[in-house]
Amino acid sequence: MSSESIKVTINGSDYQVEKGARLIDVCRSNGHAVPSFCYYSDLALQASCRTCLVRIEKMPKLQTSCTITCTDGMIVTTESDEIEKARRGMVEFLLANHPLDCPVCDRGGECELQEMVFDWGGLEERFRERKNYAPEKYLSPVVANDPQRCILCKRCTRVCDEWMGEDAIEAGGRGVNTVIGTYGGWLNCSQCGNCIEVCPTGTLLDGTYRHQARPWELEQTITTCTFCSDGCQMSLGSRGGEVMRAVARDRYVNGINGEFLCIKGRFAHPFVNHEERLRTPMIRYRKGGKLIPATWDQALEFAANKLRETADAHGAEAIGVVGSPRITNEANYALLKFANEVVGTSNYTATDRFSLAPFFESLGAGLATHRDIRFAKTIVLVGGEPEELQPLTGKQIRQAVRNGGAKLIVINSRAIRLQQQAAQFIHIRPGAEDAAVLALADERFDELAAKKLGVDASELSTARGTVLDTEGNCIIMFGGELSPAAQSLLAQIPHAASTDKRRFLFHPLPLYNNSVGAHDIGLMGGAHTASSLLGAAGAEIRALYVAGSFLPDHLRGQEEALSKLDLLIVQELFETETTRYADVVLPAASFAETDGTFTNNDGLVQRVRASIPPAHQSKPDWMITAALAQTLGMDFNFQMSASTVFRELAERTTAYNGMRYPLLKDETKPVQAKHAIAPRRDLADEIEALRLSIESLDETAEKIMGTPPVGHELFKPGELTGKVPQFHLLAAGNPKPPDVLISPLYQITIDAGLRRTDEAVAVAGD
Amino acid sequence: MSSERPIQSPGNQFTPNNPLPQEAKLPNEIATFSPEVIAEMDAHIAKYPVRRSAILPLMFIVQRERGGYLDPPGVAFLADKLGVRITDIWEVATFYSMINTEPVGKYHLQVCRTLSCKILGADKITEHCTQKLGIKPGETTEDGIFSLSEVECLGSCGTAPMMQIGFDYYENLTTEKVDGLLERCRGGGMSNGVR
Ligand code: SF4
Ligand code: FES
Ligand code: FES
Repeated sequence: MSSESIKVTINGSDYQVEKGARLIDVCRSNGHAVPSFCYYSDLALQASCRTCLVRIEKMPKLQTSCTITCTDGMIVTTESDEIEKARRGMVEFLLANHPLDCPVCDRGGECELQEMVFDWGGLEERFRERKNYAPEKYLSPVVANDPQRCILCKRCTRVCDEWMGEDAIEAGGRGVNTVIGTYGGWLNCSQCGNCIEVCPTGTLLDGTYRHQARPWELEQTITTCTFCSDGCQMSLGSRGGEVMRAVARDRYVNGINGEFLCIKGRFAHPFVNHEERLRTPMIRYRKGGKLIPATWDQALEFAANKLRETADAHGAEAIGVVGSPRITNEANYALLKFANEVVGTSNYTATDRFSLAPFFESLGAGLATHRDIRFAKTIVLVGGEPEELQPLTGKQIRQAVRNGGAKLIVINSRAIRLQQQAAQFIHIRPGAEDAAVLALADERFDELAAKKLGVDASELSTARGTVLDTEGNCIIMFGGELSPAAQSLLAQIPHAASTDKRRFLFHPLPLYNNSVGAHDIGLMGGAHTASSLLGAAGAEIRALYVAGSFLPDHLRGQEEALSKLDLLIVQELFETETTRYADVVLPAASFAETDGTFTNNDGLVQRVRASIPPAHQSKPDWMITAALAQTLGMDFNFQMSASTVFRELAERTTAYNGMRYPLLKDETKPVQAKHAIAPRRDLADEIEALRLSIESLDETAEKIMGTPPVGHELFKPGELTGKVPQFHLLAAGNPKPPDVLISPLYQITIDAGLRRTDEAVAVAGD
Repeated sequence: MSSERPIQSPGNQFTPNNPLPQEAKLPNEIATFSPEVIAEMDAHIAKYPVRRSAILPLMFIVQRERGGYLDPPGVAFLADKLGVRITDIWEVATFYSMINTEPVGKYHLQVCRTLSCKILGADKITEHCTQKLGIKPGETTEDGIFSLSEVECLGSCGTAPMMQIGFDYYENLTTEKVDGLLERCRGGGMSNGVR
């Protein structure tokens, strides 16, 4: 991008602006309000609403400022009688047949058309048209649709195509009969709901929130999503202690994700107020007996006594402390402090699917932000499936390629959908990701790797060539498939390949909202992993204190491990496989009920804020840990305040030094953790180990064909996403109800076969 | 309130009298075609640098082969063949009045209703058809022989009023000429562009 600066005059004031800037943006950022409907930054131009008209000297007629690129010496007027008349005219046309059903419209109160009419509408209606009319209907279990309110700005069709690559919603018909919809009247897509978010009117609406509340009754709380490592900023709307909806509308929140949320972020919040939430602490007085409700004092006392007994009988190292990549940094910090200072054990870990420790130890370049991804020149994606597991990253990659011309290299064992955007897709055998990393890092191994990957050696050298030709940012992303040695090797690539023209950045793709935080706090650096801890249960490990639950992955093959423990203390939201053997169960507050921070895969430390008071008797995790410590005679001195916890945490965690809640306050200016850049290392040992393990790879393994649809993993409801009734319909293949005018939820009642009763399946982000 | 005469708009699909186009059935199978027809399609596709550009010619072929309209299996075939979403097919198909998304009669009378034809008596032509066939625009006769629609300018304003049947134009219409046309249709002596 050239940073040449040119002069533009707006309403008599001169401004220096970057060449190529869009006029409407320049006007707005300098305080000259220009209304708009169809303009949406970073989407294809539409220029259909004509509310953004301005006068530009030497141009005939008024011009749409949303399509004008500033040129040197341009003289612009945004306010005059002529412009006012034109705008009022446009609004009058929009209202000519628009129904005036604001009293029953879910968008009423936060509708851009209402606001536009408030500013530019007339008192008198000169047209006497019949108002548009259509019965209420649904496009999917989560998207409600009132087509009569559409003003045809086509934001929805553009985000569907450009952000999500779905192209599931389009404009049919033409002229006055144009209608936004889908073939067959049913929406088959990943159900992200972004069309709902960007709709300025009440045409596309949240089907789960339909007629539930009015926006002005809701208390808006800006917080961080709890479902994946992208860390989208969202606004939870709550009323009377109940979370009603999650939105990212720019009138409430302006985070890294803009107005983007995915299906999980937007629709999966009902677990917060779910009836199955644990209500009180519970104690199992006798192994094999029942969990009996207890008071907090009783439960803490019971747990503390048992912990003391274990420590006395078997030593402190017999106690394991397990944090979670899903809870706040404050909660994980309190657990680590508990392990170190109260118990004195080195057996701590977090229940993540894989550890990023080797990557961070060898980190050769900084972490990319989502903005960096959007403007990258080259993106290398090794393994992973961001569209499914880190949807915001998926969207940024797509836009980088489509709008920014970035080159995408996808190395994956499945033909994931992003592959359609790729400049190069290297389709490898499942499980061979390490070989690709080795070849990327060292060309001596091309032949070996190609053989094991089942690709041509030239494909690997082409990919390397693309990386080495990059001028600008080259972003390397990787999923959980890599072995620790491969993570280190990948992390060191920048040392060999950066130049002053080419900067490398990393974007790891961990699965959980606070995977990076759990690592930063140091919880992943204990003597055990989650699986090995379970393996040692009943042997050297006699007691476990767990926040959250073990993943089905960890329990697979050692289902009985938990029953072998002398003592199991669990903090949870729901009953799970892990609480099944628990001696003490403590009800924890969900992300919507607690203050704290999550660290996303950009390394951004973002605030989580309590939107409602903790449900029932639950408490935030860090408070529970502090209370347990107190019962054991140690005062953490957290003073009931998350910010005190964070202050202590930031002092003791190098990457977070200097951070305080007031500095993290503004979601528009997120703060990045300062992960230390490791010096260049000698990797001969890692390379040799990798070579050996790659030599032993199977060359006959079949490649996986076919592109998995996005949303497929989610549609097997796991623990949290399974609490959303609508998701059961999606899981059952999103069948079209016999009558789309009725709420699809009735369908579940009518057709009991649509309820998913399968074993909860392990799903990332659920 | 002004006391001027209310401005009338052309029929709007969302009014109670003119409800939304009903939901099509979602395709659950995919249409198949003879090798000759596939070859014909491929010849069209080969003309364009981008595959999806062949969407219109292919629609006409599918419409011709599938009894005069794009049935759900035909739509599924098109989406698959062109590598686009079913929704893209829907978007284009509903834009053009000569592509049908609902079954139509054997002969589809498309009467132009735009300015020149309107001035020269398109209304009379439509009304005459309505009387003769007992169907309003948008309807099909019970025997399935005729469908009637009003369409926008067909680019033959110089010979208004006019209508299109199949791929052929019938121009400078009078009620007598229309009678003759209807007779010829009944006798089967007209092309309807459908196989
Ligand atoms: S992309 Fe991730 S952080 Fe964003 S809304 Fe979805 S699950 Fe939440
Ligand atoms: S915002 Fe410029 S025309 Fe709609
Ligand atoms: S107005 Fe009828 S053909 Fe043009």
